[in-house]
Amino acid sequence: MSKRRAKGAPLSLRMPDRVLSVNSAAQIAAAAQQLRELARRKPVTPTQAIDVLERWGASLRGPALDAIPGVPFLRLWLRRGALEPIVMHELGREALHGQWHREGPARLGVFPLGVVGHWPAANIEIQPVLSLSCSLLGGNAALVRVPTSLVEVNGVLLDRLYEVDTPGVLADRVLAVTFGHERMDLQQAMAAAVDGAMIWGGAEAVSQIRALPFPHWARVVAFGPRLSVAAMDAESWTSLAEQKTWSLRIARDVWQFDQQACSSPQTLFLERRDGCDIDPFLGTLKDAFSEENRAHPRREIHPALSSAICLARANWLLDEGAANRAIFPQSPDWTILLGSGPDIPKPTQGRTLAVLLVNDLAEPISRFDGMVQTLGLAVQQDAREACLAHAAARNGVDRIVKLGRMHVFGSPWDGTDLVRSMTRVIRHVPSYDS
Amino acid sequence: MSTLPSEIDERIDRLLAGPPFLQEPEHHHAELLSVLQAELAYAAQREPRLQRYFEACPVSYRAATRIADLPYLPAGAFKANPPLALVKAQEITRTLTSSATTGQTPSRVVLDATTSKRMTKGVMSILRSFIGPMRRPYLVIDTPVSLAGADELGARAAAIQGLRTFATEIVCCLRSGPAGGLEIDEARVLAFAAKWRAAPVLAYGFTYVLWHSFVLPLQKKGICLEMPNVWLLHSGGWKRLQDQAVTRDTFAKGAVSVFGCDESRILDFYGMVENVGVVYPDCDQGNKHVPAFAQIIVRDPLTLAPVPPGGLGLVQVCSVLPTSFPGYLVLTEDIGEVVSYDGCPCGRRGTSFRFVKRVPKAEIRGCGNVETARERGATEPAHA
Repeated sequence: MSKRRAKGAPLSLRMPDRVLSVNSAAQIAAAAQQLRELARRKPVTPTQAIDVLERWGASLRGPALDAIPGVPFLRLWLRRGALEPIVMHELGREALHGQWHREGPARLGVFPLGVVGHWPAANIEIQPVLSLSCSLLGGNAALVRVPTSLVEVNGVLLDRLYEVDTPGVLADRVLAVTFGHERMDLQQAMAAAVDGAMIWGGAEAVSQIRALPFPHWARVVAFGPRLSVAAMDAESWTSLAEQKTWSLRIARDVWQFDQQACSSPQTLFLERRDGCDIDPFLGTLKDAFSEENRAHPRREIHPALSSAICLARANWLLDEGAANRAIFPQSPDWTILLGSGPDIPKPTQGRTLAVLLVNDLAEPISRFDGMVQTLGLAVQQDAREACLAHAAARNGVDRIVKLGRMHVFGSPWDGTDLVRSMTRVIRHVPSYDS
Repeated sequence: MSTLPSEIDERIDRLLAGPPFLQEPEHHHAELLSVLQAELAYAAQREPRLQRYFEACPVSYRAATRIADLPYLPAGAFKANPPLALVKAQEITRTLTSSATTGQTPSRVVLDATTSKRMTKGVMSILRSFIGPMRRPYLVIDTPVSLAGADELGARAAAIQGLRTFATEIVCCLRSGPAGGLEIDEARVLAFAAKWRAAPVLAYGFTYVLWHSFVLPLQKKGICLEMPNVWLLHSGGWKRLQDQAVTRDTFAKGAVSVFGCDESRILDFYGMVENVGVVYPDCDQGNKHVPAFAQIIVRDPLTLAPVPPGGLGLVQVCSVLPTSFPGYLVLTEDIGEVVSYDGCPCGRRGTSFRFVKRVPKAEIRGCGNVETARERGATEPAHA
């Protein structure tokens, strides 16, 4: 998908290679300028954007696309039913069609920033598309730096956009580029050329990108590293009728993105109940992990992850002070580490779930800090769940969802409006009283 | 505390006393498997945490029919403090530490008198097969501090001291420089060379020490020691030299020019403190071999199953020698390649393999790459 271009050669916005390998700061600056001019010349309302995005989402089918992790979620995200409510909630009903709305003596209108630069994380295949769709909904043009490891996958995804959007309503205002993350000259050029930025990834990457020389007017939103946690009350995990369903949901949340996403559960807290044996639930969870592994086997693994999984198993069982247990196959396919206590252990990732018994779910939640992004819950009583959700929110958690839906992308994400953050809300007070 | 059955002790000593590289592979496997099973049972009785770990492993070690199915410990488990031990504190004679790079926690293993003795015997048995059994003058390319007795010994000093049994006399040819680094004591080196020029001599240095503090300074002055019968042994990894773009070929050429010997007199051996008593020199085919009292398994990172010949994977070392700590089956952080499971043209029987590289650190750039409160320590304030 990627082609290396001659240094300094101008970039066309409708290249046959969907992710352009760039090599000079001048190319990036020129491309950003073209995008900016196009965005000004041809405004796009959220409704027009949603029309194209929905067609794009519907086109993401077929063996090559089904093999890309996260594509089912992407299809859901790009549906009108998902996007319209977000736009209405964040920008207001009138903004759907690019109209102003009245607020007292003034009129408010929503306008794009211009060119939004996207720096997605390297471990989520669909993140470049998720990120750019947010800025397109706000009427912006999108300049996306696709991590080198995701070029091929995103080339396939962008191909479909070009197929469904032959007039170029959105396709013309998206430019996906790739270059090594160590190319600071190109990172700087990209930062200097944008009016807004959406940055995703690990601590080091996010800090590095945030430190780039963005224009003083640029709006920068960073989605830094977080981890996520699952929790079940005793009624849920001891319910023989529901154990299997909940276990399958947990397995699904663990398997997505190989447990490397910020929304991946690393720990499952189970509330104790006197006289209840954990083993039947563990057996069900083990079966669910085995089943999910059969359905979605790993095709490759970094040797360091394999090594880390072996070490996590050993360290867990050799922990002197704890009566820990563990269940795992001979392969590094999955691991369940059983123990107790309210603290979240160091995540191993790679489908390694720590299952910790606690007396009360409120205990671990009271210890959460801003590091926990998503809390996946299975709590039978509404009032109890509302109480736990409130406590979690006070302790820094940004998303509280049902188990099995921990990766469902939506706005707000990490407590931030995804579309509104890349727009300007304009206030017009008419010069004559009406 | 239970003791290792005397029958097992005897079998270990028999394996140590025999020829190290002439075992028929199937017989070797069967013999080693049953000794290792007995040792695992002994370790499980002595340390309940190990029993818990062994019980959690999918295949019972008692029922296993392959060494590859026995429960192994990752090398990182030996970074525990206090170190994993199978003997009482008063029985520990020495602690060996690995050569961890800056900021890393070293591995630590404890030795009692029996394991120490077997460690020495193991190294001697292997090296005799490469350099012959005779004792000879020993040039230590390090400072005299490396020969000092200490309760805790680093990998470098352990290697230097492990070769003492081959020595008739020992000369250390480095000293601490004014800036704290190492510098060559040229007069000592030249005197040693003048005295033993054509005689069989043993020399040892840690790879990067040998290069930086011995080969380079002598090369710079155009000095050749003219010691054609030297056996120059070195170990300790290549990472630092590779970082400085010193290739194995450059290294060998430099060492040859300084000693005036044939390249075949230079032996690079692989070893680790968790695998006491076992070293892996290259044979004349460039392969490494496992002795009668040890085994090597190369595991596919995807399945952790042993790879076929030609396959690359994580190296697991296996040894019956340590009884003071559970270093029987250790999954290393190295990548290796199985050359063959028997039939190396050098004549040594059993598995031959090559060390390829350290496991590269995974470059985690994802949004889920965080540290947690438990990892940071409970006393540190939470941060939002």
